[in-house]
Amino acid sequence: MIGNEMAGTVIAEGLNIEGDLSSEEELVIHGNVKGKLTSSELVSVGSTGVVEADIVGATVSVAGHVTGDVTASERVDLQTGGRLIGDVKAARFTIADGASFKGNVDMEM
Amino acid sequence: MSQTSIIGSSSIVRGHVRGEGNLEIHGRVEGDVTVNGDVTVGAGAVVLGNITATQLNIAGTVEGDLRGTEALLIEQGARVVGDLSSPRVGLAPGALVRGSVRTDDESPLAAPAPRRPGVTSASRSAAVAPPPLRAAAPIPKRKPVVTAVQPIAVENDVVAEVAPAPAPEPPKERRQAPPPVIPSLGKHAKAKKKRREA
Repeated sequence: MIGNEMAGTVIAEGLNIEGDLSSEEELVIHGNVKGKLTSSELVSVGSTGVVEADIVGATVSVAGHVTGDVTASERVDLQTGGRLIGDVKAARFTIADGASFKGNVDMEM
Repeated sequence: MSQTSIIGSSSIVRGHVRGEGNLEIHGRVEGDVTVNGDVTVGAGAVVLGNITATQLNIAGTVEGDLRGTEALLIEQGARVVGDLSSPRVGLAPGALVRGSVRTDDESPLAAPAPRRPGVTSASRSAAVAPPPLRAAAPIPKRKPVVTAVQPIAVENDVVAEVAPAPAPEPPKERRQAPPPVIPSLGKHAKAKKKRREA
């Protein structure tokens, strides 16, 4: 689990955002986001996070549910228990054992 | 659950924020915020939208209405353009507020409705009762401001939203008023004169 206190922006469990969320710092999502997520740093979707949005970030880590396309300039990590439905565009992409994924992968950056 | 969410100083939210738990805003939010918990708007934060929460602490800039179901504190350096409503409202010196303030539990829309029947019955009885009672009757009942944290020093106009006292009823005509004195060149005077002459 990523520590909350270090992160720039934290959406805790129980909070819903409908709209765009863009940041130049770390984004940690434990709640719900519908719309678009953009960060120039890490985007982390915690195990309770539910994201129905396209995600753009340097590094994207998914332990919760994501429906939408994911684009990362560095890497995408789909962790155990994570679920990702959408296309992934990143130079590096890992899928942990126990994660579920449906979509296309483009690693030609 | 009752964790604290943080919108960091370089983060921008364009859309609505809803839900449970506390929320700290240090960045920018363009949209309404409705949270079942406490909301803190930090010193550099900007919120363009209405905020509804249990307790609000405002040190940044808000353009929108603020509603605290328990308390509402406007701190030094805050800049608020919008209406404030909460059972407890605190304005610190150096806070800038432009809008109406109400310190009661009623929701802004529900409030004026129960006041009206009171006013009409008061004026109706005033028509019968002797005149001195009339002035006392329509004072709107409202709770006093519970927490003026410190002496209020607000740079801009705080329009303490007080319902304007209803216009006093015209005194009962006891004697017939003399006919109005019409100036020689009053409105339509010439036309009337012409009509009379015709």
